Amino acid sequence: MDPSSPKPPPAGARPPAAPPTGAPAPDTPPADTPPAAARPPFFAAVRRDVRVGVRSGLHTFWILARAMIPAYLLALVLKEVGVIDWLAHTAGPVMSLLGLPGDAAVPLAFAYILNLYAAVGAMQALSLSGQQITVLALAMLIGHNLLVEGAVLRRTGMNPFLFGALRVVAGLSCAAVANLIMSTL
Amino acid sequence: MSDLARTFLEGSFDLLWRVFLIVVPIMVALELFEGSRPFGAVVRGWSRLVGRLGLTEDTAAPTLIGFLFGLAYGGGVIIRDTERHGFGRRQVFLMSVFLSMVHAIVEDSLVLVAVGASALWVIGFRTLWAVAVTAVLGAAATAFARRRRPS
Repeated sequence: MDPSSPKPPPAGARPPAAPPTGAPAPDTPPADTPPAAARPPFFAAVRRDVRVGVRSGLHTFWILARAMIPAYLLALVLKEVGVIDWLAHTAGPVMSLLGLPGDAAVPLAFAYILNLYAAVGAMQALSLSGQQITVLALAMLIGHNLLVEGAVLRRTGMNPFLFGALRVVAGLSCAAVANLIMSTL
Repeated sequence: MSDLARTFLEGSFDLLWRVFLIVVPIMVALELFEGSRPFGAVVRGWSRLVGRLGLTEDTAAPTLIGFLFGLAYGGGVIIRDTERHGFGRRQVFLMSVFLSMVHAIVEDSLVLVAVGASALWVIGFRTLWAVAVTAVLGAAATAFARRRRPS
C-alpha cells in the first residue's frame, strides 16, 4: 500500500513456471506490475491461470491423498484395537485439571485419533455445562486429527511426532488456562 | 473386519472428495487472484499482522489460507509454495507452529459453536493462544540456533 515501508519488493511475483502462451500482448503493462514479461490478453491469461491452477491443484491433491489415506487407515485400526478406549481410560484423571468429568477423555481421544466430527459425536453422549463444552472445545480444536494432519505436516519437512506432542500439550494447557479464567470471572 | 474395510473405503472416499472439492478450486482461485491488487492488499495487511511473529510476506499467503480453511488445505498451499519459492526452515517452522495451533477457523469453530461452545473463546482466545505459542517457540528456536552457531 504505502511505499514507505521497508518491505522487500513484490512477493507475488510468479516464477516463470508457465510461459505465457497465446498472442504477443497488445500490451500496456500497468506501471506497477513487476514481471516485465509480455502480458497476454485477458481471456488468455484467465485460461492459463485456470489451467495452471487445476494442474497444481491436482498435484497437491495427489500429495495430500498419498499422505492422508494411510494415516486414516492407521487411525481406524487404532480405534479398532482399542487404543481410543485405553487413551480415554488413562487420560480420565487429567480431565479434572480442566474442570471436566473423566468421561470427557472419550471425545478428546476421538479428536486426537480420528477427527473433530467423531469427537463432537462422542461429546453429545455426555452432559456438559456451557463452560465445560467451551474448555473441551479448545483442547480439541488445537489438537485433533493428529495422524492425518501429521502426515500433511511431514510433507513440509517438519517432524510430525514433535508437532503432535506440541498440539496435545499446548491444547490441554490452553484449555486449563481458559478454565481457570472462566472459573474466576 | 469387513466392517472396518467398509468404513475405510467409505471414509477414504469421503475424505478425498472433500479435499478435492476444496483444494482444486482454492488453487485455481489463487492462480487467478494472486497477482491482483485486492489480493495483494489483503495479504500485505495480514502479513503486517503475522510479520510480528517473524513470518515474511511470502509465507503470509499460505498462512492465511491455512488459518481460514484448514491445515490440509493450507498445508497444500504450503507444499506448493515451498516447492516454488523454497522457504527457509525457519519460515516453515513458524508457519507450522502457528497453523497447528489455529487453523480452519471457519469450519472447525462453527462445528463446535453449533454444539454449544462460546464463539468468543474458541475463536478469540484460541487465536491469542496461537500467537503466544508461536512467539515463544520462535524466540526459543532463535536462541537455540544462535547457541549452536555462534557468530
